Amino acid sequence: MLPEYYEFICPVKILSGLKALSNLPYELTLLGAKRPLIVTDKGVVRAGLLKLVMEAFSESDIEPGIVFDETPPDSGSAVVNKVAKLFKDNKCDSFVAVGGGSVIDTAKCANMIVVEGTNDLMKFQGVDRLEKDMKPFVVIPTTAGTGSEVTSAAVIYDEASHTKMAFTSSKLFPKAAILDPRMTMTMPAKISAATGMDALTHAAEAYYCLAKNPVSDGFAIAAIRLIFENLLTTVKEPKNKEARLAMLNASLLAGAAFSNSLVGVVHGIAHATGGVARVPHGVANSILLPFGMENNFKKVGPIIGELAPFMGMPPTGKPMKDAENAVAAVRKLGKQLKDASGLPTKLSEAGVTKEQLPEIAKAAINDGSCTINPEEITYEVALDILKKAF
Amino acid sequence: MKQKTSTVKPTLSYRLKKTVVGIALLALGGTFEKVSKHSAELKEEIKDWRKGIVISLGVLPKGPAISLKEENGTIRYLGRGYKNPDVKILFKNMDSAFIPFTAQMGSHIAFVQHRALVHGSVVDGIKANRAMAIVQAYLLPGIVFGKVFKVPPKLTLKQKLFKLYVYLTMGIDMALNAAK
Repeated sequence: MLPEYYEFICPVKILSGLKALSNLPYELTLLGAKRPLIVTDKGVVRAGLLKLVMEAFSESDIEPGIVFDETPPDSGSAVVNKVAKLFKDNKCDSFVAVGGGSVIDTAKCANMIVVEGTNDLMKFQGVDRLEKDMKPFVVIPTTAGTGSEVTSAAVIYDEASHTKMAFTSSKLFPKAAILDPRMTMTMPAKISAATGMDALTHAAEAYYCLAKNPVSDGFAIAAIRLIFENLLTTVKEPKNKEARLAMLNASLLAGAAFSNSLVGVVHGIAHATGGVARVPHGVANSILLPFGMENNFKKVGPIIGELAPFMGMPPTGKPMKDAENAVAAVRKLGKQLKDASGLPTKLSEAGVTKEQLPEIAKAAINDGSCTINPEEITYEVALDILKKAF
Repeated sequence: MKQKTSTVKPTLSYRLKKTVVGIALLALGGTFEKVSKHSAELKEEIKDWRKGIVISLGVLPKGPAISLKEENGTIRYLGRGYKNPDVKILFKNMDSAFIPFTAQMGSHIAFVQHRALVHGSVVDGIKANRAMAIVQAYLLPGIVFGKVFKVPPKLTLKQKLFKLYVYLTMGIDMALNAAK
């Protein structure tokens, strides 16, 4: 059934394939850029991935202005301001992000500061607050999970107010996303598993939560199918280029789905679990997803059931049985990933203590994702989900 | 034929909707203030708000708006318009505002359908939206609860009596608040 009203946007050019990275100079030229600032992190440099990016510039007219490789896992406003200053000091004209969610969000926010001519990110918090066009921006993901290369959002920690600032604007979309499997082949098994489950959570919640629409449904289903067919392979065979490329595509598809249809209680609680107990986002999503799906059985059980065939479970003709099968498929994948990589399946295994559960539940209900969840998420409901996942 | 948009007169339908939304906002502002002084549930919700935060609720591009301020654990209705708000909850156009303000849709669905958005801290916007849902339970007739809330609230006898008091005094409150 069509929603009464919906919006969908994904203006990012996608370049997918082995050695797709070789097109980076060409794409930058098309965008009128000659001197990009490259934003990345130490892990990317250590893994030799930055070298691949720099090699792509050989014999081109593009000369990177500077490389910033100090992006931390949860980037903050000080880092963003530093990157923006480097951009101006080195007369750069574009951004290239090489990394995961934190690197990409840092580049998005630095771009915002450069274009808006301010160092006060706070005033751009919220939705659609940017009116100026951003500098050319290309993303090369080195994880397959966040989908940030096709989202209009960025989250940055503000050191002054000790809060996370969220920005959403169609201006924040990168101009191009380059999916090259060589960029994820060095990712450790456990991180591959966690980021892949993050992508699965994006796709699943985009499909069954309140803002679903037929366009994002298509993206979500394509992502789920690719994840169930390839995630375990990337964990067991890290050098498998086909599986790595499939997971990069799955992450992108799921990103495009949830950037438009948003997510639900799993993300709401996962964000809070990250904030209170420092559990990595993908790990928390992986643990919570089956419980979040079950939480919504009463309101959208049949819709959840529609996902079962794309998770390897044949349709039974009984919508609620299909919903149960979909949850069983997610649990089975989680168990297989645990056996293959040590990915936790319970919050207690991820370092969360029982005493932290009330604090997590309290933070979760203030997360925007819970508004999009079909079932009402009160403190008591969030705590109940946490106890089950503990 | 080229036509300047500024010369396009609002339709009767638009003007009617603007009037209805303006009245609904006025009713919401006064009721918010009143309920915040009596409802334990709303007081508990406001307890977590930033001290002195000003929240405005309005309609783009030039529609009606109201502002509310947290003061000592309760809410004060500041009046019509945007009074230096920390957070704005905005409806993109009059049609998008009219549907939730006539109880045909919950505010959560307005956000889901991109009809409404937050300028400022999203967390503060979520808290305000949750508080607004508590106020709506006193403002709206029970018959529309199923359309507006994910889980329709069940009011106790004491709460029902207070709701009656809200209804009986709403006209006076609105007349007094209209001047603000």
